[in-house]
Amino acid sequence: MSENCIISTKNLNLWYHEKHALESVSMRIPKKKVTALIGPSGCGKSTLLRCFNRLNDLIDHVKITGEITLDSEDIQGPGTDVVTLRKKIGMVFQKPNPFPKSIYENVAYGPRVHGVRDKAELDKIVEQSLRHAAIWDEVKERLNDSALGLSGGQQQRLCIARTLAVEPEVILMDEPCSALDPIATAKIENLIERLKEDYTVIIVTHNMQQAARVSDYTGFMYLGKLIECGKTGQIFEHPKEELTENYITGRFG
Amino acid sequence: MKFTKKTGSATTASPGTARLSFLKEQSIKTVFFFTAFFAVTVVTFILLFLLRDGYPIVVQVGLPAFLLGIDWAPTAVVPLYGILPLIVGTLLVTIGAMVFAVPLSIGCAIYLSELASPRTKKILKPAVELLAGIPSVVYGFFGLIVLTNFIRVSFAIPTGETWLAASVLLGIMALPTIISVSEDAISSVPHEYKEGSLAIGATRWQTISRVLVPAALSGIAAAVILGIGRVVGETMAVLMVAGNAAIIPDPIWNILSPLRTLTATLGIEMGEVSVGSEHYSALFGITVVLLVITLIINLSAVAILRHLKEGRAHGPARKPLISSATKESLARFAEIIGIVLLLIFLLAAAPWWLAVLVLLVAGTWYFGRDRLTRNHIQTLAFGLVGLATVIVLAILVIILQDIVMHGLPALSWEFLTQPPKDLGRAGGIFPAIAGTLYLVMGAIAIALPLGVGAAIYLVEYTREGCITRLIRTGVDLLNGTPSIVFGLFGFAFIVLYLNVGVSLLAGQVTLALMVLPTVIRTTEESLKNIPQSLREGSLALGATRWQTISRVVLPPAVPGIVTGAILSIGRAAGETAPIMFTAVVFSSRFLPTSELQPVMALPYHLFILATNVPGASTNKYGTALVLLLLVIGFYSVAIFVRTHFQNKIRG
Repeated sequence: MSENCIISTKNLNLWYHEKHALESVSMRIPKKKVTALIGPSGCGKSTLLRCFNRLNDLIDHVKITGEITLDSEDIQGPGTDVVTLRKKIGMVFQKPNPFPKSIYENVAYGPRVHGVRDKAELDKIVEQSLRHAAIWDEVKERLNDSALGLSGGQQQRLCIARTLAVEPEVILMDEPCSALDPIATAKIENLIERLKEDYTVIIVTHNMQQAARVSDYTGFMYLGKLIECGKTGQIFEHPKEELTENYITGRFG
Repeated sequence: MKFTKKTGSATTASPGTARLSFLKEQSIKTVFFFTAFFAVTVVTFILLFLLRDGYPIVVQVGLPAFLLGIDWAPTAVVPLYGILPLIVGTLLVTIGAMVFAVPLSIGCAIYLSELASPRTKKILKPAVELLAGIPSVVYGFFGLIVLTNFIRVSFAIPTGETWLAASVLLGIMALPTIISVSEDAISSVPHEYKEGSLAIGATRWQTISRVLVPAALSGIAAAVILGIGRVVGETMAVLMVAGNAAIIPDPIWNILSPLRTLTATLGIEMGEVSVGSEHYSALFGITVVLLVITLIINLSAVAILRHLKEGRAHGPARKPLISSATKESLARFAEIIGIVLLLIFLLAAAPWWLAVLVLLVAGTWYFGRDRLTRNHIQTLAFGLVGLATVIVLAILVIILQDIVMHGLPALSWEFLTQPPKDLGRAGGIFPAIAGTLYLVMGAIAIALPLGVGAAIYLVEYTREGCITRLIRTGVDLLNGTPSIVFGLFGFAFIVLYLNVGVSLLAGQVTLALMVLPTVIRTTEESLKNIPQSLREGSLALGATRWQTISRVVLPPAVPGIVTGAILSIGRAAGETAPIMFTAVVFSSRFLPTSELQPVMALPYHLFILATNVPGASTNKYGTALVLLLLVIGFYSVAIFVRTHFQNKIRG
């Protein structure tokens, strides 16, 4: 992974209460590629993801050591403005979480909080983001309806549009398809394929086929450790570690 | 597990035994049904009796003249019974109280739910509960002595007993209701919304103001409506500080004018009216109007809260009660009303320095806000929210400090054990303490079996349907009924109609009716907390419904029920309005020897000392302190039982 890297961690450790949830994770995330994090439940992949935009700050009793850099700037330090950081690193959650507002307001929320007031400009951003998230045609007639009336898959694409509207550099996706049916999942996967032209995507997934389909790089995590990380083809076809091989071949536990 | 040889006989029980046990189960169920239906019966009775006694005045003067007449002069040579000034008075006091209480409460609720650390929260929440536990006559007493004086001096007017005083005092009394319900609403906004907003890069304040508070708006609205209900139904406190002139302020925004509310009129005149006269009937007419207003208010709050609860259960796909567009226009509307009211206040009544200060701040904000970054705005907003919390705490500290400091010197063995002398200026308050204890013990002895039975029926014996809905509406109506209405009902029904007379018994029954909804609700809550699997486990073993309830469901629910009972006792101990016409005398050297004799009671004693006996200043404060300690004591025991019980379940 010698390519241009956007996020990297060095010896990252995280404790939640007494639990050592991440153990000296060192990883480099390449720019404008899709990186998948796989591993069994509770292995720390979501925790790692939430370190990148410091959403773990919301949880009490979390202690973090080590280094995380975005464009070679440390994001752990007290001097980091989390608000600016989260503008650069967007996130899509496991369960679609549109705000209880209209479709339009959901997408316009991000630009608004970042200071865009001009109505024409907002309209433009909303349309572009919805188009980019491949949901524009389905909702353009009812932008003022409540977002809660959309189907699960539409809600998730709306959440992606909401993330795109603030023009991040990186998009974190925490099992974005786990609450969706296969058709909605296929739509999101196609979308991810197109997103990597402009964005760096890091996706946590339970589904190994999904990781194989959408990602360029894959990291396998187990019990808080990053066991192996490399090109997706290599990880799935010639894993270096026995643990990885056991996991992807389903011989586990 | 104990196995007996009879295991076989249980399945092949003789038809006679089965029939007997069926009859037993059926009759138990019927008893519970009647306890549950009691609430509906009481509401019907209250309405019937108030209408019966209030009807003659409508016949006499006509409904329009009664509701819209602008002169209330029932004792004039040519008596006039127009209650418009009283309705306007109630309305104005309520508006003023909300202008004072809503910003403070919402600020405090935001602080509690989003900013306070767990440790701070652990101190702040009981403080807010404490504010709710202060009896209204103690608030009135504090208002009469401290607040009106403060207003008199700061505005340089002859008397501080004004609309302003009443609004501030009632605003304070509404604080705990609005704070705790709004805090609940904000805290129960799904965590995902908050994460979603923060992950986009919104600041904490942007997340609070644009996502959390809008999402909680229905709950906050219900909180405010409940607060309004509290204010509209309050009697003693408003009566002690509002000045009670039955006039419409002139001009209408003159908040330094005295005024009189519907409730105060009842509190003042009911004791002096001759039974069956026109005036008597007019007072019952007022009670009906008051009851209708408060019932509408409370039922709408209940409807909103219930809708929210069900909406949460059915998932987020359900359409919200109010669309987001309406919410926004409502918010804007409220903003404009607020600004207009503030302007009117500044132009009409405020001292010039306050006006200049407010205009200066508003001006700076208006012209400077575009230059502020969102971090500045966040700092500013958090500052204001913190300030609101500090003000709420300061109010509590000021009230407690005033009463404790002045009340402590009065406390002595003699004060607690002797009857009063010289109209309460000297001597003690023993008969009042004992009378209050008699009253509340009797009330809970009546309310507890009825309330627990009703709750068991509602939770264990029926599915949701027409009948439960009717019963629940009855309970809600009873819960929203102002305490003075219970007082008048007790007087008309128990004292006069049943000919019991002003007596301990009449007071106990009246108080029991008042606390019944609380008992039902807390019992219901604790029964619902018992996992369904326990019931199924017991029924699957072949236990009957009553066996399951009495041996499996009730025992773990006991602490919750006890908590509810003690809370009710605390509430009943501090109430004045329900016993004022049904049970109490001001001065009595002896304890009652039968249920049919009147008693002394602490809240009433304090009320009379504060309003009618000049020169009793030490004993006034002493009585207030004893009453406060008694009520807070009951509440603390209740809170202790509750937390102890919760810890045990979790442990």
